[in-house]
Amino acid sequence: MAKLTKHSFRSNTLPALTMVGPVTLWLAFFVAIPLIYVFIMSFCSLDSGYNVVFEFTLANYERLFDPNYVQIYITSILVAFFTTVLCIIIGYPFSFLIARTTSKHKALLYMLVIIPFWTNSLIRIYGWRSFLGANGPLNNFLKEMHLTDTPIQFLFNRGTTVLGMVYCLFPFMVLPLYTAIEKLDKSLLEASSDLGARGFSTFTRVIIPLTMSGIFSGSIMVFIPSLGYFFVADILGGGNSDVIGNLIERQFQSGNNWPLGAALSIILILITLILVKLYQKMGGDMESLGV
Amino acid sequence: MKKLVSFLTACAVCAMGISTLASCGSSSSAGENGTINIYTWTEYIPDSVIDKFEKETKIKVNVSTFSSNEDMLAKVKSEEEGAFDIIQPSDYMVEQMATQGMLEKLDTSKLTNLSNIGEQYLNPSYDPGNNYSVPYLGGVEAIAVNTAMVSDEIVSYSDLFDPKYANQVVLLDDFRAVIGMTARSLGYSMSTTDRDELAEIKTKLLSIKPNVKLYDSDSPKSALISGECSLASVWSAEVALAMDEVSSIKVVYPEEGAYLFMDNWAIPKGAKNIDGAMQFINFMLDAENMSMVLAEFPYMCPNTEAIALMGDEYAANLAKNPPEDVIAKGEYIKNLDTDTLAIYDQMWTELKK
Repeated sequence: MAKLTKHSFRSNTLPALTMVGPVTLWLAFFVAIPLIYVFIMSFCSLDSGYNVVFEFTLANYERLFDPNYVQIYITSILVAFFTTVLCIIIGYPFSFLIARTTSKHKALLYMLVIIPFWTNSLIRIYGWRSFLGANGPLNNFLKEMHLTDTPIQFLFNRGTTVLGMVYCLFPFMVLPLYTAIEKLDKSLLEASSDLGARGFSTFTRVIIPLTMSGIFSGSIMVFIPSLGYFFVADILGGGNSDVIGNLIERQFQSGNNWPLGAALSIILILITLILVKLYQKMGGDMESLGV
Repeated sequence: MKKLVSFLTACAVCAMGISTLASCGSSSSAGENGTINIYTWTEYIPDSVIDKFEKETKIKVNVSTFSSNEDMLAKVKSEEEGAFDIIQPSDYMVEQMATQGMLEKLDTSKLTNLSNIGEQYLNPSYDPGNNYSVPYLGGVEAIAVNTAMVSDEIVSYSDLFDPKYANQVVLLDDFRAVIGMTARSLGYSMSTTDRDELAEIKTKLLSIKPNVKLYDSDSPKSALISGECSLASVWSAEVALAMDEVSSIKVVYPEEGAYLFMDNWAIPKGAKNIDGAMQFINFMLDAENMSMVLAEFPYMCPNTEAIALMGDEYAANLAKNPPEDVIAKGEYIKNLDTDTLAIYDQMWTELKK
């Protein structure tokens, strides 16, 4: 038995190491170590010169229960929730269309979702700001059409924050939905129709359950980042409706309290882990999250 | 489809490679008379001025930039000693770095152009005697009023809290500026640590919430120019630029005394080319060179000779050239201890939630 193990060691380990090694190193250096660093830092203190010192404290975690913070977690979760729901409502028909189309331009349609990714999202968000601004194209158009005399103030509220998040995260909803709908077996739809189901009931009783995995993974991939997209809340929300990302950013910048920022990041990581666990419990496929 | 994706990935990788190579290339080759490494705020020194210095002195200048004092401090601490010859800390950061022994004492006898700096800017509270720093450019947190939209006379920070200006004000996304303004409106110091005063400041601070349309530090002038906001409490340079665009916008310096900031030249401890650094600082104190800077960045300029070169119109522009008494009445912020900062941070969070 021992001999056998040794033999397989010789033949497999080196090739396996050369293949897996770089990825492992990459993950260790760029994922595991930074995470551990954040975790350790969340228990550190500050000295009077705002330097991080390795002195164990739970004070950072105590501050997380500040009622103002709790209220921001709640608004942030609400913003993320509405973003996700809107992404599903807009994304589902869109994905259905590109997944089921027989047009030869299918690949092109798919690419149209990805192309905006080539521009930095910060720039695209600034684009929205000038588009919706008081002197922006939209208001000018409405004025030309005599639909309004005074510019409509679209910007700087929670609604525009949600709009910006939906815009930024839309592709993350479409891509998993597309994969799920693409995989849909056509014969099942035919069977449903043979058994007398009408379009609507086929949709609710066959298509939706079969594409649920796509909806789940899309929701996870939209919900989690929208808790952290502080720049959208800053630029389109005008800084009036902070999300959890703003709290973290502030502690690493003006607040100058890295340990507190680290503790806030841990909260975000925890929310992520809980959601992913829930997703797994509900039978979600880790592969469609890109894991 | 797959081909397309892999092609695009390849493009992205190439682009990244090229930009890395390009950035490697730019920092090589020393000048005939050595090299200085300067670490400055972004968008603060025109390239033309750096080129002129390199031509005149044959000293090569490498510029790196930062966008907050705290970033700069962290970087100077984490780099090995001597990584930078010149840094550009703001007022309170000069004080903090000097007390931590991080700055070289400046030999002002070598700064022959120091006399170009106006009396009111020398010997500041954050660095008495200018032992460690020489002022470069600064600003005032000034009030901007669009007189076409607001007919009342606005004279103070306090006026911005009036409930009738609901949803009309743009403020800086900067807790020291907003809390500082509130403190001044109550007659307190912008860096007060008194807990009773802070409680009072908090109540007043929260009362401005319905008036604030947005917080923006990057370009608060845009909201003024577009007419989305009719009032602002922002840096004077932003007001100056907004005034150039819209003639009905006026600058008002608050009667309570304004928030001042000043960015300074300083030499970090252990700098390798102190002589070159001093030459650079002296070069930047020269009136003509400084006027080249002002043509691009109309910040509050302590170099009175440079302002004289900019002509009467520039000197008479209240936003570009704040009057002397504004500086005399104004206040620089001070570094806060960690406990007090937490209180400031908490009220800021409450305002912005």
